[in-house]
Amino acid sequence: MTLPNDISRRRYLLQSALGFGSLALGGIAAAEEHKKPNGEPHFQPKAKRVIWLFMRGGVSHMESFDPKPALNKFAGKSINDTPHAHVMDPENFKNLRVVVVDDANGKDRKIIYPLQTGYKKYGQSGVEISDWFPNIGSCADDIAFIRSMWTTDNNHGAQVQFHSGRHMLDPRVPTIGAWLNYGLGSLSENLPQFINIGPRFFDKRDGHYLGPAYDAVNLKVDPQNPLEYATPHGGMNSVQQRKNLSFTNQLNRLAGEQYPGDAALQARIKSYELAFRMQTAVPEVLDFKKESKETRALYGLDHPETKTFGQQLLAARRFSERGVRFIQIMHGDGAAGAWDNHSGLRKGHAKLSKQVDLPTSGLLKDLKQRGLLDDTIVVFATEFGRTPGSQGADGRDHHPFGFSVWMAGGGVKGGVVHGATDELGFHAVENPHYVTDVHATINQLMGIDPRRLEVPGYKRLDSDYGHPIDEIIA
Amino acid sequence: MKPLLIFIASLPICVCMIASNAVGQESSIELYEHKIKPLLKERCFACHGALKQESELRVDTIEAMKDYGILEDNLLLNRLTSKDDTERMPPEGEPLSRQEVFDIQNWIANGAPAPDNEQAEADPMEHWAFQKIERPSLPNLGISNPVDAFLTAVQQTNELKAQAIAERSLLLRRIYLDVTGLPPTPEQLLSDLPIEEIIDSLIDSPQYGERWGRHWMDVWRYSDWYGLDNQLRNSQKHLWHWRDWIIDSLNEDKGYDRMIMEMIAGDEIAPTDLKTVRATGFLARNYYLFNRTTWLDDTIEHTGKSFLGLTLNCAKCHDHKYDPINHEDYYRFRAIFEPHHVRLDAVPGNADYNKDGLPRVYDDKPDAPTFIHRRGDPSLPIKDKTVSPGPPKFLNSFGKPPQKIDLPAEAWAPGIRNYVQADLIAQSKRQLNSARTNLRKLQKKEALAAAATTEVKGTALRDDFKKSRPDIWDTIGRGWRYQGGLLTQTEPTMERSCLRTKAHHPRDFELTLNFQTTGGKQYKSTGIRFDVDEKGENAHFVYVSAFANGPKVQLAHTVAGRNIYPANAKANLPIQLNQDYVLNLKVRDDLINVALDGKFLFAYRLPPRKNGSIELFAFDSTADFYSINVEPLASDATLIETNKQAAVVNPAQAVDLAEAQLKLAEAKHAALVAQIAADNATFKQIGNGTAELAARLSLQAAVAAAEVDFIKADAGKRANAAKQKEKAQLALASDNLPTLAPLRGSQRALDQGSHKASQYSSVYSKTSTGRRTALANWITHRDNPLTARVAVNHIWTRHFGSPLVESVFDFGRRAPKPLHQDLLDYLAVELIESNWSMKHLHRLILKSKTWQRSSSNLGADPNTLTNDPDNQYYWRMNSRRMESQVLRDSLFFISGQLDLTIGGPSVMAGTNVFRRSLYLFHSRDGRDKFVSVFDDADVFSCYRRNESIVPQQALALMNSREAIESANLITSQFDLKLTDIQFIEAAFLRLLARSPTQQETKACLDFLKDNRERNQFIHALLNHNDFQVIR
Repeated sequence: MTLPNDISRRRYLLQSALGFGSLALGGIAAAEEHKKPNGEPHFQPKAKRVIWLFMRGGVSHMESFDPKPALNKFAGKSINDTPHAHVMDPENFKNLRVVVVDDANGKDRKIIYPLQTGYKKYGQSGVEISDWFPNIGSCADDIAFIRSMWTTDNNHGAQVQFHSGRHMLDPRVPTIGAWLNYGLGSLSENLPQFINIGPRFFDKRDGHYLGPAYDAVNLKVDPQNPLEYATPHGGMNSVQQRKNLSFTNQLNRLAGEQYPGDAALQARIKSYELAFRMQTAVPEVLDFKKESKETRALYGLDHPETKTFGQQLLAARRFSERGVRFIQIMHGDGAAGAWDNHSGLRKGHAKLSKQVDLPTSGLLKDLKQRGLLDDTIVVFATEFGRTPGSQGADGRDHHPFGFSVWMAGGGVKGGVVHGATDELGFHAVENPHYVTDVHATINQLMGIDPRRLEVPGYKRLDSDYGHPIDEIIA
Repeated sequence: MKPLLIFIASLPICVCMIASNAVGQESSIELYEHKIKPLLKERCFACHGALKQESELRVDTIEAMKDYGILEDNLLLNRLTSKDDTERMPPEGEPLSRQEVFDIQNWIANGAPAPDNEQAEADPMEHWAFQKIERPSLPNLGISNPVDAFLTAVQQTNELKAQAIAERSLLLRRIYLDVTGLPPTPEQLLSDLPIEEIIDSLIDSPQYGERWGRHWMDVWRYSDWYGLDNQLRNSQKHLWHWRDWIIDSLNEDKGYDRMIMEMIAGDEIAPTDLKTVRATGFLARNYYLFNRTTWLDDTIEHTGKSFLGLTLNCAKCHDHKYDPINHEDYYRFRAIFEPHHVRLDAVPGNADYNKDGLPRVYDDKPDAPTFIHRRGDPSLPIKDKTVSPGPPKFLNSFGKPPQKIDLPAEAWAPGIRNYVQADLIAQSKRQLNSARTNLRKLQKKEALAAAATTEVKGTALRDDFKKSRPDIWDTIGRGWRYQGGLLTQTEPTMERSCLRTKAHHPRDFELTLNFQTTGGKQYKSTGIRFDVDEKGENAHFVYVSAFANGPKVQLAHTVAGRNIYPANAKANLPIQLNQDYVLNLKVRDDLINVALDGKFLFAYRLPPRKNGSIELFAFDSTADFYSINVEPLASDATLIETNKQAAVVNPAQAVDLAEAQLKLAEAKHAALVAQIAADNATFKQIGNGTAELAARLSLQAAVAAAEVDFIKADAGKRANAAKQKEKAQLALASDNLPTLAPLRGSQRALDQGSHKASQYSSVYSKTSTGRRTALANWITHRDNPLTARVAVNHIWTRHFGSPLVESVFDFGRRAPKPLHQDLLDYLAVELIESNWSMKHLHRLILKSKTWQRSSSNLGADPNTLTNDPDNQYYWRMNSRRMESQVLRDSLFFISGQLDLTIGGPSVMAGTNVFRRSLYLFHSRDGRDKFVSVFDDADVFSCYRRNESIVPQQALALMNSREAIESANLITSQFDLKLTDIQFIEAAFLRLLARSPTQQETKACLDFLKDNRERNQFIHALLNHNDFQVIR
């Protein structure tokens, strides 16, 4: 919740009746009376929440969800010497905007590198998926695969772009998680409405002109110390803390008598109550003791390689059950992200896919068996794909011209493949989608008309809104 | 755009819908007023309204539309729904929706009714903020303070009754926090000096500059640099020079006009005065390594917003939609900055740009042309027209064209400045001395080594942990067991727990530890300390951590009991529990190599070492230890250098190398002296140094450098090194002397990442275009209608918590005429006519009754409450939450921890950092955690602080070290002998600057009865709303 100093007391009181998190920020250049969202969807939603899995560094689309046998056929040849030489026509690259000029990465890679793993068909839908993702494959009938994504940054600023829709050379704007947080607020009294788990991308903020109240709250899957300032420095038992808190708020209420109608004071009293509850509620969510052995196995908690991500996804399920709107989970540490296999792609991707494949399928299955998948959107995304050509002996470079993401649950069709890249996996050629089309699809499913969330003084571009991918909406 | 008369096809569907959807005249007027007109305003007025009349069409009144005839024959509808992109209106953005088209259609079908006397859009030039600022006459009420006079007048008109002046102690707290950002001490609260005197003295205190400096740092987008590793990508290193300029300028009450002049054109108006030139940090902050257009876009946008309240950025791709700023105006503004660039000038006393330097701008390419970018796309410049520099044309009746400026040599050849020469000589002498010392040391060592090659200081160590060895080890902490033929740590703890050698270890040693970590709570770290002193307060340590969120091998230091974890001394590895590891350390002098399982991980240079013990430790882990082996390092052992280039540190070669390095230092020194002499002769007509001699000596230095490289080269590089050496010798022998550039006295910011600063010339353009000076003159001209109004609004906002003009960075047509424009204009004239003195404005405001009123509604006139609940007429003061910096500073100030040092380099946030918050490193990537929770300034733009109330703030004040330690320290300031009531009174006064009410006293007594520890009470008060708020 936010209380900008200009906000009218009357309007504020009206809105605070809606509870925490439903308040939105104004205050910045509101030349005209600006109506803030009231926490209600604009139209009937199909989904209530989003679990957003983001693979940092760039997952090879050809070796995940868009297998390209032509790469084996033309292995070792220059693209120019194949029937697909036209993919290199300069006209095809007009969307590209380069941040790091003359970087070692983000170059044309012409010598075709064969697929580093096999692939097969899964489920009744028969979607072809690489052998590095067999468990996700087993959920293929619940998933809509989008094989025709494109973006405009050939470097890892594309991570920010995937979340905000804006290129690194453009101004920073709120991310999709912040917008949903702003538009819909929270379903929980005790928990943050927008959570990030795992190593963040370059931009550490989400809210930007919406205000820091719309930044994701960073959490760790560690019941002892799950979020910043969750435990008292130097230790203090919760009984004492409860006493202090009750006392503070008792004094605040008494002070309120001296300042009748002071909405900020009333809000602060509430925020202390919420903080105290959050301090208890968050570790409870992260305590998996009551989860059955089967559930733990589903997420791979019993294997060292899947445990970390599995814990994060199990936490995600538990947070979604408790009303958190947007749970953002980042996989792959390092400045650029672990999936950035410029060399050693086979080894790297084999290892990384192993870390995420089983837990991700576990999440889908678990949500499904609990009936949560119907109103929970699960997104599996990455900032760009990787080049069909080789970089060095055994790697692939950044590739923004065509790549894959997938969505499941929350009103998304299952067993669907939407869009396509050309035969080499180079360009998105059939139903191409810019990254904000994923945002638009989520907005559509969540009942949000993003054009009704504008903040005066901050122009949004048409490309910021994107277009819902109607073909994958059930 | 084609004229609208071109008609393509009619829409048959339209016709059939009309009949069934026909609505009455009255509701059609409503439809027009509530839906259609706002839609036309949003989508069409920009080109067909008062601002512009494309095709001579206006759609801002029904009359204009009818006159033109666009409502006839489906003309309008056809253009709105055309499938032809070149025909369809509006030309930009999404086409109108079906519903919107449908509404228009219905409305036309009903005869396109509109309300009577419909007003056309006003002429943009009549916009209130574009009118010259004139002093309005003061309301004739006998009130001399203009703030009070104007507001009392409107309060009277609206029958509003103002609140009384705030209680003195609360008022004092408000004054102190508002002016200095620090709360008053108990003594200051008890002072009986007149309020006006206190205000004057605080405004003249140096803390005023810090408090208000932080405000202006928000508006002017202060940001320390960020980048990748050491590569600068945005803003500038050492930008704090500009921050200090802000503080100094405010404290000396430099005119705001002069401040603008210095920030935009300090290098042109005072080219050799570094104190002035540092102001251009305002522009240098926008430096962006990867994209010149992004850099200039930021410069244009924020120069426009911060000084002028103009959203110039909206004209980057097309004409401005609301204001009379066209596309070309944007590029005219860009042309002002086109020639400029950024460099670090050397500052007196330092010759190392990584340590210090003055970030500043200068005109690098006076002739760089500016072209309009089609649709704002830098790859589509319209090259047939060079855009000339200047401010937006609609406001340029008083601007003057730029005058070229000839710069003094010291400005364009900074290397000839006396202090630069002196500092380079000093640096060179230091290098000479260190080369000499190094050689002497090595010669001595060589002699010693020859005498006793086997001499070892310290004790070697070998233990397989089969049984307890109290002769070797002291055990510290609990949980150490010898069982099953090994040593086990059974109790995970974060306390100090270790086995410690009784004897010191050899200074240069190799250590091998065989172990596994078996469990633990969180960090699961197991490892070795060395060089541990008696108390364990100084040591170096290496540990292997199976921490789930970041397993790694890390090297760290304990300095005076505090642990420091260098970011470049670690290896992120998937460390597993229950797996055997062999940790190997090799240490020679300050160089350490760390290996795990035989694989080299990293090398690191340790800070100065002292002799000490080895400690075997487990931190928050359980672990099994199998063996440890510590031996003196073999003299021929090869260590890997920190740059990973496998340079061999071989004692035998070391003396040769040191000799060559000394020769090199001598040769360089001689070359430097000669070059300075040559520069002095050329530029200052002093002495008779010659370029020839300098050039020859520089070649000699090159030979000496090649010799050093040759000695350093390993077998693989030797042949090449020999060739280079020969080449250098040949160059020296030949008669072709190189032309030497003057000495370097600055470091130019890079144009792209692959460049090196050394490849740029050491001298710059001898002239500056004067464009920025002309701009600054225009911004600060008396006839500029925006500058003073925008500044007054910023100052007002920060005194009252609410602005006079809501959109603080946009005074264009989107900003409606403010409620109190007369007051705004009056204060703007005051600002201008007081020689732009901000202190004058502060005094006027702070000494007004309006500012000093109570912020409570208590006892307010019911009518006033009903009629102006939002306090638009300032009948009471607004409460404000302290900005994040003020909150942190207050905690530390009251608890006696705050370090009041003024100025200097930005300080990294950390546990023992108690400087005022405005000195904390503040960039995209670096910020203080505590400060960031309470709405810290966004470095990208922050024209106004947010004031959020979120639970994380409550958590921070409930649980942070900042709050809890402050509470403890504050508690200790109170005399234990105070009775509970006395203590409560004193604590309320100290923290809230007021006495408790009877009810509050009772609540406090009840609490203290249950909680004898008074720090809990103080901690609760620090969480009190009225501590966080300026009442």
